[in-house]
Amino acid sequence: MKVLGICGRDVADDALERTADRIVDRLSREGRVGVIWYDATIADGTPELRDPSITPGGDVTYDLGADGDWTATGTDLSVSDALDTFAGDCAYAVVVGVESLRYPTVLVGESDDRPRSTVATVPTPADLDLEAIVETLEDAEPHETLESLVARVKRSPDADRAGAIATFTGRVRAKDSTDDARTEYLEFEKYEGVADERLESLRTDLEDRDGVYAVELFHRTGVVRDGEDIVFVVVLAGHRGEAFRTVEDGIDRLKDEVPLFKKEVTVDDEFWVHERA
Amino acid sequence: MEWKLFADLAEHAGDRHVAVDAEPGETVGDALDDLLADRPALADRVLEDGELRSQINVLRNGKDVRSQEDGLETELEDGDELALFPPVSGG
Repeated sequence: MKVLGICGRDVADDALERTADRIVDRLSREGRVGVIWYDATIADGTPELRDPSITPGGDVTYDLGADGDWTATGTDLSVSDALDTFAGDCAYAVVVGVESLRYPTVLVGESDDRPRSTVATVPTPADLDLEAIVETLEDAEPHETLESLVARVKRSPDADRAGAIATFTGRVRAKDSTDDARTEYLEFEKYEGVADERLESLRTDLEDRDGVYAVELFHRTGVVRDGEDIVFVVVLAGHRGEAFRTVEDGIDRLKDEVPLFKKEVTVDDEFWVHERA
Repeated sequence: MEWKLFADLAEHAGDRHVAVDAEPGETVGDALDDLLADRPALADRVLEDGELRSQINVLRNGKDVRSQEDGLETELEDGDELALFPPVSGG
């Protein structure tokens, strides 16, 4: 799933809505689009009922219709959680009103104070170059989760013959031992192009094994914070034996062969990990 | 020719992309000499007794010149992309 942010600077009230409307219309021609409207003033996650004297319980509420249409209210959902829930079945997500998004962002209005991830600045919604936005998203790093990759291998044409899915998740370890300086984040640099070629050739190598039907590999780049996931390997196979072996070989070979470089930033130091290995 | 440098090698060189004078027909080793000529910090990092350290990777158009080509003797062609990087550390 590709993610696009939209932010505004001193623009008319409806400018963000009209910008999102044009962009979502265009992206909908390519695939399913999830939209997140961030509004810091929302402070009540309870649904509106027909009888206002009744306050229903429950921390999350889905109102479901017969054909699968729904609305929802609830508490304790972050922007990143919402993106994770979209990632399983959306091709795109549009996030409106979040300043610190790590995904490409369109800025509406004139300002020198741009989010770092800004890829386009337009004075008004009418000035958007929608085709350029679609192109930018094509090259952008996708938002993937373990669940989105598992969902993808399950859609494999050979899924009928597969009785096993094995997965590996690599995540940022805050401490190697109790007195270790706490890791705040890792920053990954990638050899653009070559890293993707090697991941793809590793993927096809693993898929060529007997009894292995689908393999997905994903590695984040840029800043990955303490506790966040970095890398996923997902294998769909006939039986558990080849699933376990392939997932282990997959992460081992990824770590050996793909040109990615890790800088570690702890509470009191900063270093390239290969220099300490 | 242009070199792409990664991780601490880019920091030692002061840049991620460095253009050098080596021409098609010359070798990857010539392009490496051009790169290191006026970058003592980088030379110190990647060379040991005048030889390229074994853990430093050299790629030409995505291929490892040691295992897939003729090492530093590999001949340059027009439009080649050269890369120099330390041991990889993904995951």
